[in-house]
Amino acid sequence: MLKEFYYMLLSFLTVFKHLFKRPVTLEYPEKKSEVGERFRGKPYMKGCIKCGTCIKVCPANAIKIEDNDFIFDMKKCIFCGNCSFYCPVKAIKMTQNYELATNDVNDLKLLYKIEGRENERLD
Amino acid sequence: MTSLKLNLGPQHPSTHGVLRLILELEGELITRCEPDVGYLHRGMEKMAEKLSYIQYLPLVDRIDYLAGFFYSELLCRNIEKALSLELSPRVKAIRVMLLELNRISSHLLWIGAFLMDLGAVSPFFYAFREREVILKYFEKISGQRMMNNYFVFGGVRNDIFDIEEIERFLEILPHKLDDYESIITDNLIFKKRTVGKGVLDPKIALNFGITGPNLRASGVGYDTRKKDSLYEGFSFSPIVLGNQDSWTRYKIRILEIHESIRIITQAIEKIKANPELNNNFINPLNIVLPEGEYYSEIEAPRGVASCYIKSDGKKSPYRLKWRTGSYYAVNLLRKLLVGEYLNDAIAIAGSLDIILPEVDK
Amino acid sequence: MNYLYFLYIEFLAKHNIPKIFGDITFYVIPACIIFVALILVILVLVLFERKLLGWFTQRKGPNRVGFWGVLQTLADAFKLLCKENITPIGADRAVFNLAPIIMFLPVLIALGLIPFSSEFTFMNFQTNVLIYVILATFPVLSILLAGWASNNKYSLIGGVRNVAQILAYELPISFTVLSVIVLASSMNLTQITLAQSNQYGVLGWYWFPCIIGFGLMLICTLAELNRCPFDLPEAESELIAGYNTEYSGMRFALFYLSEYGMLFANSLFISVLFLGGYLSPFGKYLSPILFSGPVGNILIYFEQAFWLFAKSFLIIFIFIWVRATLPRLASFDLLKFSWNILLPLSIVNLLLMSLLKFFVGGVYA
Repeated sequence: MLKEFYYMLLSFLTVFKHLFKRPVTLEYPEKKSEVGERFRGKPYMKGCIKCGTCIKVCPANAIKIEDNDFIFDMKKCIFCGNCSFYCPVKAIKMTQNYELATNDVNDLKLLYKIEGRENERLD
Repeated sequence: MTSLKLNLGPQHPSTHGVLRLILELEGELITRCEPDVGYLHRGMEKMAEKLSYIQYLPLVDRIDYLAGFFYSELLCRNIEKALSLELSPRVKAIRVMLLELNRISSHLLWIGAFLMDLGAVSPFFYAFREREVILKYFEKISGQRMMNNYFVFGGVRNDIFDIEEIERFLEILPHKLDDYESIITDNLIFKKRTVGKGVLDPKIALNFGITGPNLRASGVGYDTRKKDSLYEGFSFSPIVLGNQDSWTRYKIRILEIHESIRIITQAIEKIKANPELNNNFINPLNIVLPEGEYYSEIEAPRGVASCYIKSDGKKSPYRLKWRTGSYYAVNLLRKLLVGEYLNDAIAIAGSLDIILPEVDK
Repeated sequence: MNYLYFLYIEFLAKHNIPKIFGDITFYVIPACIIFVALILVILVLVLFERKLLGWFTQRKGPNRVGFWGVLQTLADAFKLLCKENITPIGADRAVFNLAPIIMFLPVLIALGLIPFSSEFTFMNFQTNVLIYVILATFPVLSILLAGWASNNKYSLIGGVRNVAQILAYELPISFTVLSVIVLASSMNLTQITLAQSNQYGVLGWYWFPCIIGFGLMLICTLAELNRCPFDLPEAESELIAGYNTEYSGMRFALFYLSEYGMLFANSLFISVLFLGGYLSPFGKYLSPILFSGPVGNILIYFEQAFWLFAKSFLIIFIFIWVRATLPRLASFDLLKFSWNILLPLSIVNLLLMSLLKFFVGGVYA
């Protein structure tokens, strides 16, 4: 009986101890969570050689290459990072930008121009 | 007296997702329980037949979002076995470290959620505070918090860094666990809710295919980590308690976290002893498994998980099958809840650590 | 109160206004004051609870609306006002609408019974305590009606659970209150308050001789208010929201308000019974010392109210602390706990207090 009372008191005191600790809340819009170098956020492309590896490794069919347009469909993208990891020339990068919410559905289609390789065919 | 038919779920605060239990009550006594699963079915197995192996790899993290590393490890292991790829010691040590960290984070979440089911609010936040450290580390090394996609066939994507952070965390964690224990373990009300409730006979557990902490809490010392080639050279002992009730299932997870801390410290020593990262990558675009059947298993936080692949020599498997621990635990509810009262039912279902994406796949 | 009443009537007589008008307005105005004060207190109380729960779990609590989150409850109330009132199909409309109102009324009456200071007791009957104890059980009626009328199985289970719970916990409360009545030899809350003022100061208040009763009262009040660890009628993880599952909009807000109003009223009641009501913990009031002349004499009433509020907020703090710590009891353990432990203990307590009154008498007379 006395032991149970002690344990009850112990639980109360342990919770009470936390009253004086600093909150761990991160107040989001003012303070942003810092993400590392490897964070997989909004994808970015520069210097594509049109090898087509990214299309083949993408699980969600989110990448399209049409002539000189390199298109990420963010509605489909699952941010797995396969494309950037297997890109032979490291043309695709996942940036640290994780604030992707938007009011315009067209913003979710990322279009990057492929430069300097107009005459090569896509295999 | 007519019985009351109660639909517990699929939208209910304490079914951990979208579990639906069709209960028949007499007063508050449960006379029949019928679990209905499938509300979160995403066709994980069928998807494998359409995608190539490298395309499928990022998706398996989502089978159990609380312990994603285990499922990627499982798929990687199966394919490494099929193609006889050797892992370097550093890769092995990194994998063990991350798997055990993931087990800790999964158990921490369970502790919080279980106590939330019982009505205690504070431990939930405390457990999430510790879990946050682990997830932050995962984000740093792999790029995302839960859908890591960090293991690849033949190795890991990049080398890990900042091990000191984990070492520091492992020093703090036992004190935090003591905190939780002093709040709940011996609390009178908590004991009243859990001791002697939901007694799981080892015979029934084995017949229903229960594995993992739930089985070990019933006194059966079955832990596949013991015969796992990845864990070779690690000294640890699977924790077995014999009281078979909800309280034991809670206690065993606390003790397992302590055991995982032991394994991680050993893994960190091995990582430091092997500073060179040698990945044994293969060309991702034409992974073709030779014709045949492949099977591998691993001790996931919610019981033994295993992956079976039947290949017909093409780029995607002919059939891929997952075995997940929670699926069998859900089936057990049919037996365990009958004859219990409604509020004990919630505690018992919570103590089995069911997570729905793993059940429905 | 009588003093004020005669002053008011005299004032009206001077201006040739009939006495009946004075009688009516004199009781309508205090009712309005109670109502407005109640709403204000509840707004503060909800914020207090959310902030404290946040701090207990190392969060910040509400901190967005207004400075430091002070307007959070106001925003919540406004949101609830704007929402649609939904009546589920198959619900008993009349009862469904009536239940929140039945829940809210006793709170208003109960607050009128509390002596906020030596002059402000809106309804000063000789049997204040008895009326209060009866009023405090009123919500159970409303909860049962709400649970039954909602046409929802979770609501029904919640309502029925509450009836069993209140039946079990009302008896220990009655016996404990009885022990205080024995100590004070009065059923009037003002008299009980005054009986606690003696040369022992804080130790003269009834929490010290009647420490068992004080503990019992705290536990049973938790059960009566359906607060954690006795929140079975609205056990979130089992019954979703219990009896108010189907309520939305203003009706839900009424339940919410009366829950917190009852919490406030009950904490006031406990402070009056055990913590010396409006008495100052220092033995004498500070305002005559700080302000000389008539200002100090008027401020005394406000100081008394301040002490009462401070004591009640101390009790509310304990309730929130309990909520942050303990898991919920199972329904059968809850009933067993009351019938097997609390009820015998409260009877023993009553006997002890009677003996104390009989033998030591003088001190607590």
